[in-house]
Amino acid sequence: MGIAKMNKLYLVAHQAEKDKVLAILQQLGVLEVSDLQAKDVEGQAWAEMVEEDQEREALQSLEARLADLRFALDFLHRYYPAKKSLLAALNDSKMVVESAQLNSNASEWDRVSTNVHAALRKIDGKLMLLRNDETRLQNLKIQLTPWAKLDVPLEEIKATTVVRTELGTLPAAELGQIGEELAAAAPACYLQEINNDRGESFVFVLYHISSADDVQSVLKQHNFNKQNFPQLQGTTAENLKRIEQELAKAESERKATLAGAAEQLKYRDQLNYFLDYLTLERDKKQVVSNLARTGKAFILEGWICQADLAGLRKKLAVACETVEVFVREPEENELFPVMLENKPIFAPFEFVTKLYGIPGPRGLDPTPFLAPFWFVFFGLCMTDAGYGVAIVLLASLGLLKVKGEAVRKLLWVLFAGGFSTIVFGWLLGGWFGLELFGAPLVFNPLLDPMPMLTYALILGVFQIFFGMAIQFVRLLKQGRVFDALADVGLWYVLIIGLLMHIAPGMAGVAKTMSLIGAAGLVLTQGRTQPTIVKKLLSGVLSLYNITGYLSDVLSYSRLLALGLATGVIAIAINTMAGLLQGSPFLFVPMVILLIVGHTFNLVINTLGSYIHSSRLQYIEFYSRFYEGGGRRFVPFQLKTRHLEVNPEWSKTS
Amino acid sequence: MEFTIGLVAAILGSALATGLACAGSAIGIGIVGQTAAGVVSEDPDKFGPTILLQALPGTQGIYGLLIGFLILQRTGVLGGNIVELSILQGVAVLFSALPIAIVGYYSAIAQGKAAAGGVLLIAKRPEELGKGIIYAAMVETYAVFALLMSIMILFNIQF
Repeated sequence: MGIAKMNKLYLVAHQAEKDKVLAILQQLGVLEVSDLQAKDVEGQAWAEMVEEDQEREALQSLEARLADLRFALDFLHRYYPAKKSLLAALNDSKMVVESAQLNSNASEWDRVSTNVHAALRKIDGKLMLLRNDETRLQNLKIQLTPWAKLDVPLEEIKATTVVRTELGTLPAAELGQIGEELAAAAPACYLQEINNDRGESFVFVLYHISSADDVQSVLKQHNFNKQNFPQLQGTTAENLKRIEQELAKAESERKATLAGAAEQLKYRDQLNYFLDYLTLERDKKQVVSNLARTGKAFILEGWICQADLAGLRKKLAVACETVEVFVREPEENELFPVMLENKPIFAPFEFVTKLYGIPGPRGLDPTPFLAPFWFVFFGLCMTDAGYGVAIVLLASLGLLKVKGEAVRKLLWVLFAGGFSTIVFGWLLGGWFGLELFGAPLVFNPLLDPMPMLTYALILGVFQIFFGMAIQFVRLLKQGRVFDALADVGLWYVLIIGLLMHIAPGMAGVAKTMSLIGAAGLVLTQGRTQPTIVKKLLSGVLSLYNITGYLSDVLSYSRLLALGLATGVIAIAINTMAGLLQGSPFLFVPMVILLIVGHTFNLVINTLGSYIHSSRLQYIEFYSRFYEGGGRRFVPFQLKTRHLEVNPEWSKTS
Repeated sequence: MEFTIGLVAAILGSALATGLACAGSAIGIGIVGQTAAGVVSEDPDKFGPTILLQALPGTQGIYGLLIGFLILQRTGVLGGNIVELSILQGVAVLFSALPIAIVGYYSAIAQGKAAAGGVLLIAKRPEELGKGIIYAAMVETYAVFALLMSIMILFNIQF
């Protein structure tokens, strides 16, 4: 139990059977394929014979198909988001396919998705054109709107042989002055303000061609900004009306085009299935780049859990003719990927372990050790039997509905925590803040918190001692007897000696023990240092770690505080609801207050209890023995979101 | 209800515990919310995990409320049986509110910053939500200790 035994596996087979072998490996999902790069091959007897394998073209074409498919699905999602309830999202109901039928199904999905993709591309193109049209019309509308009152048809704003007409803007503040200047410089000129907006005058200018230069120079001085509408016919008002009509038409066309996209919605499931299928195919091609090949054969390297080895050999022997498998144990300092293996009762707590990280390959799986502590701590942090019942019921409901493996583990952990909450709620707390079944069996920490604080700290000392014991045994197993005695044993002596000072009549023994412990630590803790002075100095400094033990133990006082918090908030909610009692009009608000209040308290305290129960493991418990730095075992397997592929052998076995 | 200086001091304690701790929580939650909104603008599916992180600095407010409530209950302001408090007793009750009032305020803000960091963490690595939560929860330890001390003082004042 604990960390699974891993074996290194080499597999050699003929190129012709590569696809078959990879398909079997993917469906079994028990082998992590390592990248066989040149540096790994070096030193092997066969290094000269092989080169890196890859199927670049097949991979690229699959990636291209995937990109098309994602475009289609994204397009549909953008305009018609798929609505999924939280439960459905957790549930991941997948369509089951026999692997033998996968290919025939896939060709149908292929046909459908090619059509859908073509249709959606066309629709996308059309939408783009419509969007461009709309932008152009909107811009023209913005330009024309200030000229709405101009009743001259726009095509007549032009130069004739004798007269020029122009439209443009001038600073409104200078308009009077400009009129005077024009009258002085060119009498045959007519200037009319059509509109006035934000300090700008929109003006119509008409002048005889002979005074063109004079008029232009005056206008230029005042920053005349000429505006042209060369392609428009009719008055501004007519044009604006036409633009509105065209915009409305574009809008309705856009809707009609999108309705065309809606027709493709019924294919969404098949598109999703095909996405899964292509992803599986792509994964298989990607793995190829990890292999090495000769002219006719290929070699694959990977890690496999010892327990799965026989099954893999059997499947390969049945299906393939040329496969050879070689297996060896990991070498002395070789790092292998870590898979946690635990008895069913502890397995859900792997969720708590993995939250912190994966233990190192030669470390220790802390799951079975932390599980009982976590169980007790969660119950103590909640300490309300009513909430315990609620958690158990909710977790059970979730376990009935949800299929995802990781979420199920979490739900099992919460189920256990809920059970623990009922027990400790019964012993030390109430039911939804009330004493429904009489006073708590043991005592009520709300009335008398001191004993509870003592128990919490005793629990802390116990867990820390337990963690030290684990480290002690680990060191002994590694044959480091002196390390075990010096680094763990002496601390036991010192801490137990210090603790015994509390007990009456033991002062003498306590003093001797703590002195022996301290002296031993001073003498041993600096043993890796080179000189005598440094040895002693490090030894003395190591005593400073006593503060670490002290603060770690005090940290367990949170068990009391969080337990009290749950109870007191529940009582507070009941008291507030009690203020509404009596009047029939306030009955409904009172019930709502009770339900909302207790739900809130339940959620926030479950979260808090989960976090703090876990934290006590990670910080206070782990620091005694835990060795991290492991790499998660990631087998080559079927990774799907919408399909569940039943391997060929599932029917026979 | 007859007001004495002691009673008013106790009520001030209740008000400080609730007011300061809740103010801290509001600031902390606001900090996380700002960061979370930015992350969700990129990926709306992260609403769930970010809201979880945003809830974390909210506990200080609850602890403050808790102490405020306990003070009102112990002094009988809630429930009607007013306890006769001397000035010193009232001030002692006021002092019992200070740990959670002060630590609640500052730790909620600090926790908000840590949780905002957690939001950024899951923006890049959604699978590491647990670690983001633990970082924020490290701060909360001190609010829990302050709560504990407030409770201890309050329960051990005899009147």
